[in-house]
Amino acid sequence: MRARWLASIPMAALALVTIYPLVFTTNVALKTRREYVLDRFSPAGSPRPDNLATAWTSVGMGGYFATSLIVVTCAVALLLWLGSMAGFALGSLRFRGSRALYLGCLAALFIPFQVIMVPLARTMTTLGLIDTRPGLVLAYVAQFLPFTIFLMASYYAHVPPEIVDAARIDGNTLFGVYRRIMLPIGTPALISAGILDALFCWNDVLIALLLMPSAENRTLMVGVTSLRGQYSDDIPTFAAGVLIAAVPVLIVYLFFQRHIAEGVAAGSTKG
Amino acid sequence: MPPAGRRLRAERLAPYALVAPAVLVVVALRLYPLALGVNFSFTGDGERDGTAVGLDNYATLFDDPLFLGALRNVGLLVLLLPVAVAIPGLLATFIYLRVPGHRLFRGVYFFPAVLSPVIAGAIFNLLLAFDGPANALLGTVGLGPVDWLGDPDVALFAVVGVHVWATFGMALVVFLAGFATLDPSLLDAARIDGAALPRLLRHVIVPGLTRTIQFVFVTTMIGLLTSMFGLLYVMTGGGPGGATYLPEYYIWIQQGQLDRPALASAASTVLFLVMVVVGLLQISLLRRSGRVD
Repeated sequence: MRARWLASIPMAALALVTIYPLVFTTNVALKTRREYVLDRFSPAGSPRPDNLATAWTSVGMGGYFATSLIVVTCAVALLLWLGSMAGFALGSLRFRGSRALYLGCLAALFIPFQVIMVPLARTMTTLGLIDTRPGLVLAYVAQFLPFTIFLMASYYAHVPPEIVDAARIDGNTLFGVYRRIMLPIGTPALISAGILDALFCWNDVLIALLLMPSAENRTLMVGVTSLRGQYSDDIPTFAAGVLIAAVPVLIVYLFFQRHIAEGVAAGSTKG
Repeated sequence: MPPAGRRLRAERLAPYALVAPAVLVVVALRLYPLALGVNFSFTGDGERDGTAVGLDNYATLFDDPLFLGALRNVGLLVLLLPVAVAIPGLLATFIYLRVPGHRLFRGVYFFPAVLSPVIAGAIFNLLLAFDGPANALLGTVGLGPVDWLGDPDVALFAVVGVHVWATFGMALVVFLAGFATLDPSLLDAARIDGAALPRLLRHVIVPGLTRTIQFVFVTTMIGLLTSMFGLLYVMTGGGPGGATYLPEYYIWIQQGQLDRPALASAASTVLFLVMVVVGLLQISLLRRSGRVD
């Protein structure tokens, strides 16, 4: 029993180390430049939200934010739609070639983006989709679809097959079964997959950097990488920009922590 | 009402219609580019664009000190791998054993895992600055300031440290999911026997979690080899003096900055092979150690 208390002490220290970087950044973001230069550790004397306003307007983070929001929303909607259809077919139906298709999906899961990024950029150029939002949406869908299918298929594999059979006997076509039965049943998995996919797309920088070269098409995370150059002598505004980019994710984390953890766990235990 | 025959055929084809869009996307934008990329790596760049050059690109790669440095760094990362797996493993063990405050720890530890590498990198640029908090802390215990991102011997470890900070929460959750599948009576029996923690780990937890440990090893390795780009891009740009180059960063520079897609494709192919080899090695090693226990 005493040993457990002993373990708590280093764990509490580690928890502090985990949380402190964000506390420090928040504090810096609320300082004036003068306060920061004089003493970067003291609590911000009078919290000043104008750094946030500066970062939002003068860097154009508002525009980056809109691009990210539109692209991520479209990508997640497509991912859930295609992923749940394929996941239902591969998870709860047996048909000629279904096993091979499932294994192909798993194999695609292990192709890192770095390995295909050169030819993908060229393919996108050929299709006229480079530097366009639809192109980026498609790239995200392709990147995270294998994972989404895998998650949905492993969820649907646990749905008793009698449910599908009964719905078929009631005169439903296979699409009817998918739409009326499987989509509602799959809600918990859809939520987990949707949140994880949204996080992956929102946090991505490499794909966006590769496929959206022009400045007006920047996503929020690419915007954050350009902050450093613009505000190298104004650290509080830089910190404010970083904070703005982190806030949506933190909100999602606070509300959906359980779903995120469940999705990660489901992806690991059913493999 | 269509005739029964046509309805039947439509129903037989329905599963294929359900998977068709997904298969189309995966084949067109993942599998086809993979083949195309390997193919690319045997063609030339610039003036020799599109002509077959055999293994020239690979020869260029293995003459390039930057690329060799990137591969050496991969070796370092593989050596650091056990540490990156042991940290979340031990923490998960304590959380599972319900140390006081375990709920809070679980929530706090997981939180950096949702941040983008770009944000983690930007935050640590502030923390690791020469006159930042990290050096201030060292100063209080009388150690001189460290040039975290400017010293070629330190920079890679600093970036990997941030990567671990930003990802160990994911591995922690995976471990906890694995613990949920353990038979609790085994642990209780071990506790009643008064087994100390090291023995508990060796005889109950590690054998019971073999599959989870394998999974975390493989995913952590994939993470180290393929999701450090954001951190490298924000924190070091591959510097100082190429000290923090990893294959993925090399690919990006050759493709995006130096306009040498064929050379970048060759580097991609090498990275893919490295991942396959390391993955297979890991699985065979872990299988063997699993059998010994």
